[in-house]
Amino acid sequence: MTNGRPEVDPITLSTVWHGFQTICREMRHHVERTAQSYLMAVLHDISVGLWKANGVTIAMPEGLFDQFLGARFVIEDIHKRFGEDLYPGDVIVTNDPYHGDSPHLPDWGFIRPIFHRGELTFFTLVRGHVMDTGGSFPGGYFPNAYDIHAEGLCIPPIKLYERGVPCRDVAELIFNNVRFRDEMRIDTQAMISTTAFGERRVLEIVDRYGPELVDACIEEMIKRTERAMRAQIAAIPDGVYYGEAATDDDGTVLDEPVWIRVEIVVSGDEMTIDFTKSDAQRPGFVNRVLAATYGTAFGSVLMMMDASLADYHNEGSLRPLTIVAPEGSVTNARYPATVGGSPVAVGGQITDAIVEALSKACPGRAQAAWARHRGDYTFANDPRTDEPYVRTTFDYDGSAGAVAGYDGATGPVVHGVVLRGNVEEAEIRFPWKMLNLEIIPDLMGAGRWRAGAGIDWRAVNQGSEGRMATGSSDGDEMVPKGVLGGYDSPKSRTFIQRGDERIRVKPHRMQELRPGDVLIKLSSGGGGVGDPRERDPLAVQRDVRDGFVSLEAAEKIYAVALDAESLDVDDQRTAQLRSRQATRVEVVIDGETLTLGLRELG
Amino acid sequence: LRVSVDIGGTFTDCVVESERAIETYKAPTTPDDPSRGLLDVLDKAAGASGESLEQFVARVDRLFHGTTLGTNLLLTRRGAKVAFLTTAHFRDVLEIRRGVRNLGESVFNQVRPPYQPLVPRYLRFGIPERTLYTGEVELPLDEMSVEAATRAALAEGCEAIAIGFLHSYANQEHEHRAKAVVERVAPDLHVVCSSDVLPTCGEFERFSTAVVSAYIGRAVSTYLRKLEQELRAHGFGGTLLIMLSSALMRTVDQCHARAVELLASGPAAAPAAALAVGKSFGHLDLIEIDMGGTSFDVCVIRNGSILTTTGAWVGEERVATKMVDIHSLGAGGGSIAWIDSLGLVRVGPQSSGADPGPAAYGKSELPTVTDADLVLGYLPADFFLGGEISLDVDRAAAAIEALGAEIGLGLADTAVAVFQTATVSMAGAVTEVCTKQGHDVRSFALVAGGGAGGIHGAAIAEHLGIPTVIFPTAQPVLSAMGMLIMEIGQELTKVGVWSRTEVPAEELEATFQEMIAAEQETFRLMGVELAEVSFARSISARYQGQFHDVAIDVLGGEDRVALLGRFHDRYQEIYGYSLPWRAVEILECHVRGSVSQAPAAHVTQTGMPGALEEARVGERRCCLRGTPVDVPVYRRELLQPGHFFAGPTLIDSRTSTILVPEAFDASVDADRNVILRLRHAVATKACARAAAEPSA
Repeated sequence: MTNGRPEVDPITLSTVWHGFQTICREMRHHVERTAQSYLMAVLHDISVGLWKANGVTIAMPEGLFDQFLGARFVIEDIHKRFGEDLYPGDVIVTNDPYHGDSPHLPDWGFIRPIFHRGELTFFTLVRGHVMDTGGSFPGGYFPNAYDIHAEGLCIPPIKLYERGVPCRDVAELIFNNVRFRDEMRIDTQAMISTTAFGERRVLEIVDRYGPELVDACIEEMIKRTERAMRAQIAAIPDGVYYGEAATDDDGTVLDEPVWIRVEIVVSGDEMTIDFTKSDAQRPGFVNRVLAATYGTAFGSVLMMMDASLADYHNEGSLRPLTIVAPEGSVTNARYPATVGGSPVAVGGQITDAIVEALSKACPGRAQAAWARHRGDYTFANDPRTDEPYVRTTFDYDGSAGAVAGYDGATGPVVHGVVLRGNVEEAEIRFPWKMLNLEIIPDLMGAGRWRAGAGIDWRAVNQGSEGRMATGSSDGDEMVPKGVLGGYDSPKSRTFIQRGDERIRVKPHRMQELRPGDVLIKLSSGGGGVGDPRERDPLAVQRDVRDGFVSLEAAEKIYAVALDAESLDVDDQRTAQLRSRQATRVEVVIDGETLTLGLRELG
Repeated sequence: LRVSVDIGGTFTDCVVESERAIETYKAPTTPDDPSRGLLDVLDKAAGASGESLEQFVARVDRLFHGTTLGTNLLLTRRGAKVAFLTTAHFRDVLEIRRGVRNLGESVFNQVRPPYQPLVPRYLRFGIPERTLYTGEVELPLDEMSVEAATRAALAEGCEAIAIGFLHSYANQEHEHRAKAVVERVAPDLHVVCSSDVLPTCGEFERFSTAVVSAYIGRAVSTYLRKLEQELRAHGFGGTLLIMLSSALMRTVDQCHARAVELLASGPAAAPAAALAVGKSFGHLDLIEIDMGGTSFDVCVIRNGSILTTTGAWVGEERVATKMVDIHSLGAGGGSIAWIDSLGLVRVGPQSSGADPGPAAYGKSELPTVTDADLVLGYLPADFFLGGEISLDVDRAAAAIEALGAEIGLGLADTAVAVFQTATVSMAGAVTEVCTKQGHDVRSFALVAGGGAGGIHGAAIAEHLGIPTVIFPTAQPVLSAMGMLIMEIGQELTKVGVWSRTEVPAEELEATFQEMIAAEQETFRLMGVELAEVSFARSISARYQGQFHDVAIDVLGGEDRVALLGRFHDRYQEIYGYSLPWRAVEILECHVRGSVSQAPAAHVTQTGMPGALEEARVGERRCCLRGTPVDVPVYRRELLQPGHFFAGPTLIDSRTSTILVPEAFDASVDADRNVILRLRHAVATKACARAAAEPSA
C-alpha cells in the first residue's frame, strides 16, 4: 500500500483490464444467443458497456457508437431522477432520446445498477435495436412523423424491475403499445438477463481482488489510456481541420441535402470537435440529440487513432476531447424534434465528416468513407404462417472504404460492427426469395487504394402486399467521399420491378409493395484513397481479371492499358496514359438498362 | 500393441504402449514425404525392442495418427489451386463473407488488409440451379454448365473443385450430381461437396469450410492413401485411426471427402494428455502448451473441461466444423530469429522446419531459437535426441553472432535477446487465451509439452507468475500421448427439422436408431468391440423465433414433456431465465459414440528414492541472467519419485531437455512427472490460493 491505496501489479492490472473488456464481449454474445430479433441475434445491432457509478467509462469494446458511448447522459439522468432510490435488482428501461441517450426510439436500453456490499459501484447497459417500438410504422424508420411522440412509444428512464421484482403494470403498458408483443418480450428478457450476467461477472472480479484494488486498477487503466491518447493527439500538428458530409434529404423536405460540417481543432494534446457550422435542426427525422452526437463523434475520433489502442479505450480516451454542438442544430436537436432516421442519415455523416477532417490531419492513417446504408423496413404478411413480419438487414449494403495502404474489403458494413446474414437463413425467416447477391464491377470509389466492391442485391416478394420504409437508406445523391485524391463512391440506386414497370425508390420514403415485386438494390462500394492513376498496374490487371474493374475503367480511371484478350499490361501505352492530364470520370447507373456507364467530367 | 504417431512441422513423435510400459520416440519430420518420417520413427521403436520394422508393425493392433500437414498447407497458402462451383448469381459469397472476419477485432482498428479469398473471383463459377430451403428443386441443375466450368477450371490448371449450392443441407441432389459430372469430365480432380463436409444451414460457413477442405484435401488424401499402403506393405494388419481436430477419430477412407477435419489434428489430442496428468494432481484449471519445432499451441482447460468450438477461424479462413479450441502461434525451436525495421529482435513465424533445420543441424546458417538455446548452454550439444543429432555449437554461434552484428549486439546478448523474445511472444499467446478471457493465469497450472517446451515452459511461467509447471513423463510427445489415452469417439449430426415444434417421439427415435446403426458400422471398420461402445444422444433446440440453440442430452425412456422440461431448466441454467410459454423447436439430433481406451500402463514406484547424485550426469556451463554459471545436469530417465532439488538445473532426456530456472524448485512425483514450483510466488490472493492447492 502506498498513500492508503493498494499497489497495482502489472498482472492484476492486465487481468482486470482485459477482464472488463471480456465481460462486454461475453455480454454481447449472451444477447445474440438468446434474442429472437434478426437484427440483434444475427446482425449484431447491439451495444454493451460498463461504467462507474458516476458515469465514468470503464469498458466499451462492443457496439454502435451512438447506442452507448454517450451513456454518461443517461446515468446522469438516472441519478437526478432516482437519487438514493436505487437498489440491487433494479433494471431501468429507456428509449427516450431527450431523457437519456437513445439515438432513436427503437434502440431500447436496459440499465442495471451494480452494488457491491450495499454500495452502488457500477452501471451496465445493454442496448439493442428492437423489432418494434409502436408509432406509425414498425421498425422506427418512418420518415414523416409529426413529432417524437408520433415516432413511437417514448419511455423515459423508469424501473422495469425493482429489487428483482418485475413491475407488471409498467410492462403491460409497454407491451400493449408495441407490435410483435411476444417477440418483444423475448428480446426484452434477453437483454435484461444479459445485464444480470454482466453484474455477476463484474462482481466476481471485485470479490476476487477486493474493491480497493479494482478501483486502483480502473484509475490506472484510465490514466494510462489518457496518457496514450494525449500523446496521439500531440503528434498531430496543431490546426483546424475541416470535414463535411450530407444526407440526401430529411424525409419531409424532399431532395434538399442536410449538411454536417465539422471543424476539428487540434491544440497541443487536446482536440475540440466543433459542429457549429452544421445545418440547423430540420422538420424531418434526421435530427440528433446531443448524447447521440457525442457518442458518434467520439467513437469516430477513436477509430482514427493508432490501432494499438483499439482494445484499451475507456474514459481516458474521452478526456482530451471536447464537443461543441449548439442547441437547435441538427447535431443537438430540441424536443420534440423527430429523430428516427438519424442513426443512418446524419449519424453516418458525422462519422464521415470527422474521418475526412482527421484524414487531412493524419494522412498516414487516412480513411475514405464507407458505403452508405441502403436499408429498408418491410412490413407485410408471411403467407406461410399468416403472421405479420418486419424485415431489415444489411445484406444489400456496399463495402468498406479504402484506407491509406490497403484497399477496402468487399463485404464489411457499418465499420465492421454489424454482420450480414446468410441467404439461406433469410429465406427461411422472410417470404422473400433471393435472386442475386454479387459484386458490380466499377461501382466503387477508385483510388491508389480502391474501396471494396459495390453490391447487386435482388429479391422477389413471395409474401403479401405491404409497405416498405426506406428511412434507413441513404446515398442516392450525396455519396461517401474519397480522400487524398481518391474517388468518391458512385451514386447508389434502388428499384422495384413490377412486371414491365420499373419504379425508382429514393431514400427516406414510403413505398407500397405487391406480391411478385422484385426489389433491386445497386449499392456502391465506398470511397477510395489516393489518385487511381498511381495504382499498381498489376493490381488493376488483377481487378480486371476478377471482374472488379472493367477494361474501360482500367483505361479511363486508372490509366492502365491492358490487352483485351490476354489482359497483359501494355507498359508503353500505360505510361502514355499516365503522362496525360487527368480527367475525372463519373460512374453512373443507367436506370433503364441497370448497367453502368462512365462519363467524363469536363 | 497400441502405437500413436504425431507428425509435427519438425519432429515426428511416437508413443508405444506395450504390456509393460510406455516408450517414446522422436525422428525428424520428412516434409517432402511425411510417411517416411513416420516409418523412421516406427523403425526406431522396433529397434528398441530388438525387432525388424516388419516384425514390429505386424504386432501393432491400433495405430493412431495425427498430422499438421493440412494446417501447414493452409497457413502457408501452399494448398491446391481450387475452383468453386456455386449457385448462379451468388458466386461472391466467399468474398463478401458475413462482413469483417472476426468480430472480436475492435471497431477502433480500421487499418487492415482486405481479405484475399482462397478462390479468386475468376475461378468461381455460377451454375444455373436452385434448391429451396424446403429441399424442393426449383430450377434443375444445368449439367452442361457444370461441364463447361470444369473444363474452364482444368484449362486454368485447377487441381481441386469445391461445390457449394444454396440449401444443399436440405437436399444434396444437385451437389452430388454436379460432383458426378466433374468426376466424369476430370477424374483426376479432388472434388468436395459442401453438404458432405458440413451439412448445416448457413451458406457462408458451409462454403468456406468446403473450400478449405478442397484446398488441403488433395495433398492430405494422397498422403493418407500412400501411408496406409506403405504400412500394409510392411505387414501392418491392424487399424489405422486418424485423429481429427474435434478430438474424434476416423478411418482413412472416411477422411478423403472431409480433409478439413484434419486441421490441427495432432495438437487436438494434447489437452487430453494434459488433463489426465492435471487430474492426478487435483488440478482442473490448466494451461496446456505444446512447443515443437515450428509452432506453439496453447489450450485452456477450465474446471476439467476441454472446450470445442464451431466458430473457428484458421488463419483468415472460417472453418465451421467442430474443433478443440486451440490457439496457435508460429514460434518453436526452429523459428527463425530476425531483425525488424525498428532494429528489434523478432522470432518466427518463419521456421527452418525439419530441413534444413536450425544452423546447429549443420545444413543452414539460419539463426533459430534452438541455436540460441544451444549457445546459452541449455541444450546439450552431444545428447540432442539422445545423441542421434549432434549439434554444431560453433555453427549455431556463428549464426547468432551474424544476427547480432546487424544491430551491434554480442553473441551472448543476442542469444539472450532471442530467448527472451520467444518467451515473451509465447507468454503473449497465453495471455490471449487466458488473461484476455478474464482468467487470472496465476490460478492455473501450466502443463508443458513438446520438444522445446522443456526449455521454455518454466520461463513462460516465470514471466506470467504462474506458480506451478508440470512436465509430464510424455512431455516431449504430449499429442501422441493424448491419442493413446483418450476415448475413441465419433459423432453424427442430423439436421433439417426446421421450424417444427411437434416432432413425434417415434420420428426422433427412428432418427437416432439410424444414426447409431451408421456409427456401429464405422466402429466395426475401426476394429472396435461393439459391446464396449456407449452412445450418447442429444438434441439442439431453441425457443421458436430464436437463432441460436442449446444442446441437451436425451435420456432413454423419457417422454416429450419431460424432455422439454429439461430444456427449460437447462436454458434457465445458462441464461438465467426461461420461457416455458413459448414453443420449442428441435433443430438437430446428435449421437456421440465412444469407447474408452485402457489407461496407459505405467509403473508407479513407491518407497524411498535412491540418492539424487546417481541421476546426476555432470554439469553444463549456462548463461543465466547474463552470467555464465555451471549448472548441474540430471538425466530424466535416472530420476526417481521423491527426488527434490532447486534450480538452476537442467534435466536431459533422450527426447528433450528441461530447464529449471533459479526461481523454481523441482520434484519428481510417483508417476515420474517433473513438477516445478515457483519459490517466491508473488503475494497476491490469487497466487496464495493457487500455491495452497494440494500438490500430490
